[in-house]
Amino acid sequence: MRVDKLAVEDFRNYGKAATDLAPGVNLVVGRNAQGKTNLLEAVHCLSGLGSPRSPDVALVRNGADAAVLHALVTRGERSLTLDMEIKPGRGTRVLVNKTPVSGARALGALTTSVFFGPDELSLIKGTPDGRRKFLDDLVVKLRPAREGLRREWDRILKQRNALLKSAPRGHRGELATLDVWDDAMCRVGASLTAARIEVLAALLPHARKRYEAIAGAGRLELTYLSAWVSRELCDQALVDPAATDERQLQEMLAAAVASVRARELDRGISLVGPQRDDAGVLLEATSQESTGVLDARMYASQGDQRTVALALKLAELDHLSEVTREEPILLLDDVFSELDPLRRSWLGEAVHDLGQTLVSSAEPGAIESAAADRVIEVVGGTLRDVSV
Amino acid sequence: MFAPPLQRLIDELSKLPGIGPKSAQRVAFYLLKVTPSEAGLLADSITEVKEKVRLCAVCFNVADEEICQYCRDSRRDSTVVCVVQEPPDIAAIERTREYQGLYHVLQGAISPIEGIGPDHLRIRELLERLRHPADGRPPATEVIVATNPNTEGDATAMYLERLLTPLGVRVTRLASGLPVGGDLEYADEVTLGRALGGRRQMGA
Repeated sequence: MRVDKLAVEDFRNYGKAATDLAPGVNLVVGRNAQGKTNLLEAVHCLSGLGSPRSPDVALVRNGADAAVLHALVTRGERSLTLDMEIKPGRGTRVLVNKTPVSGARALGALTTSVFFGPDELSLIKGTPDGRRKFLDDLVVKLRPAREGLRREWDRILKQRNALLKSAPRGHRGELATLDVWDDAMCRVGASLTAARIEVLAALLPHARKRYEAIAGAGRLELTYLSAWVSRELCDQALVDPAATDERQLQEMLAAAVASVRARELDRGISLVGPQRDDAGVLLEATSQESTGVLDARMYASQGDQRTVALALKLAELDHLSEVTREEPILLLDDVFSELDPLRRSWLGEAVHDLGQTLVSSAEPGAIESAAADRVIEVVGGTLRDVSV
Repeated sequence: MFAPPLQRLIDELSKLPGIGPKSAQRVAFYLLKVTPSEAGLLADSITEVKEKVRLCAVCFNVADEEICQYCRDSRRDSTVVCVVQEPPDIAAIERTREYQGLYHVLQGAISPIEGIGPDHLRIRELLERLRHPADGRPPATEVIVATNPNTEGDATAMYLERLLTPLGVRVTRLASGLPVGGDLEYADEVTLGRALGGRRQMGA
């Protein structure tokens, strides 16, 4: 899929601007603080999943009450118009071919994109929260209908925590219902975990291939880290996710929940479950001085962490295009700056084999410029085609 | 902004569920235009409903007497009790004309976030009712739990199941699944998952 034309109104620093986009690589250039990232962000918003970096409220230009996006999109043989109005607090209105759509249907009808910017480094460096969100977002991107599963899980966890919190104040009556919430938590938590492990297993081969291609050597390993799923089940599930028995997960969670019951009552919060799980990213070093498997979060260099994060994002893209049979749009925000020339040139070549790509850069080097099919210059919220 | 009595009316109206400040203003200006007798009718009906309508002593449905119309009706089947969250749910079930049993209104669902536990619902009264049926009518053998199919309604249903099964009654839950006339393709995962879990053999 690709965006052929994009027009934005009152979006971030843009008042009114429009540009055509090439089917291949689009290089977005300009000085700092002109609106390069904002343009990439606008394309990401067309996926209906909001901004990759901040709450929707920040998307609307200061003083305006809604941001509007118009796009002409090609999906396979079909050409669609998308119109989107983002009103913070009132939600987002979506028109596909001038017809309103909503809910899961809208997510299915819109574009899919993969955003990679400087903040994506937190995928490796940051808290488990970001890695869980990465997995959960992908669960929903792959099957929009699973949005309901995620919502139900959030609701159950909130209710259960509220109940635990009320316990010390002596509401013994409410606590009579804790078993009921435990049951709900185990049932829905097991489904969510199975979905996450399935996604992680699907990402692994792609991520490995991508990492090796960019870094030239080394082996990437992904694991599901959980205090309640047994090590064997995690490892087994990553090899053969189809064989994962949700009932077995349910029993494991039930046992873990039962074992921390006293502590949970004491602390007033849920202490075990998918809300505390994490994805482990490991690098198998192949250099002469050291061998062995190391946690990328703690031991990898800044550049290597960026490479791993990029490999994960490209793996997401690979898996999405495999499953949806459509190439998602790749948005690379300022990624070249921290890669060495070798890795830069690899990336410059790799994006050529992908679908539509938008790359932003403050000072494009020869590699990026040579790779571009179209160059768009951003100056203070205006867009200009400067391709030669 | 407006004359004080009018502003007061708008403020009162905007407290009503589903009515925002704009709708409240529209209703208020409409009321300004109607004849005094029409406005009196509305005012009287509000007063009357507060005076005369109360909760049925047996099932906690809204009633204009001590006991509601369904509990009074001796032709209804007292061996089945359908448990719902709110009185409007009864109206919904009645419209199907498929159900001839009695009702019990919980007046809500378990929701720790809002501080609603079993003690805040009419659960104790339900147990009492099942243990001591009304004179001369056969006791309940089945309880149909018809709470809403959401997180809170499900939790309430599970809680009731644990409480009621030891009493020797059959506890059933309304089936949940695909809406009739809907599209399978657009069903969400939770609904579809439940529909799969609750699938039935055809021709059985």
